Amino acid sequence: MVVQVRLQPDPFLNELTNMFERTTEKGSVWVTLKHSSDKSKVQRNKMKTCGEKIEYRCLVRATDGKKTISTLVGPKDHQRFQASYATILKARMTALRKRERKDKRKAADSDKKEDSKIRSTASKTTN
Amino acid sequence: MVYITSWDDFVEKSVQLFRADPEKTRYGMKYRHCDGKLVLKVTDDRECIKFKTDQAQDAKKMEKLNNIFFTLMARGPEGNIVSRDYFTNQLIYPMQMSPFIYLFLVNRDV
Repeated sequence: MVVQVRLQPDPFLNELTNMFERTTEKGSVWVTLKHSSDKSKVQRNKMKTCGEKIEYRCLVRATDGKKTISTLVGPKDHQRFQASYATILKARMTALRKRERKDKRKAADSDKKEDSKIRSTASKTTN
Repeated sequence: MVYITSWDDFVEKSVQLFRADPEKTRYGMKYRHCDGKLVLKVTDDRECIKFKTDQAQDAKKMEKLNNIFFTLMARGPEGNIVSRDYFTNQLIYPMQMSPFIYLFLVNRDV
């Protein structure tokens, strides 16, 4: 059975951090964003026929495969939420590779240096 | 399901998908720390596009796409919405402008 826990944005972010911590050794974290009114299609159709305005918010769901949490982010708080979310991602997604090209260049440079050192010492010994 | 290799194509197609059907389209990401892999996915259950990477610099690009989708999804796909990021004070651009100008803005290193 899947139990989905609806949280306020701040507790959601805390729990998301925990999920990232729990899955460092093994496992994955999924985060899904959806434009949602949090109402069923029947409800929405009723509201439409009554001419009521349907409010949409951003539904954010997260899971580590065992536990699922969700929250709704509205137009007033999405900027603050996305800033905190970005901070968490930056802090937790550290297993991704930094630019490879630079590393290769550095390695190549150091190889060359060693080569030239060997050559210079070799030339010294021959002299 | 298609893996798209070009980031710009992925951004453009994902936003097109969302605009075509805002109620059905969802934007998901999967992060696997032990393998150092990141997969982004946008689908409306008919079409599905994905982007996968192991590069940290792509995570930075993802942050911008996150901002776009948060803005579009929290405020609605129609509204004219140039807003500012709460912490960095950077401008967050909506999709109301032409895709070319938009892509220019998204790809610009601010």
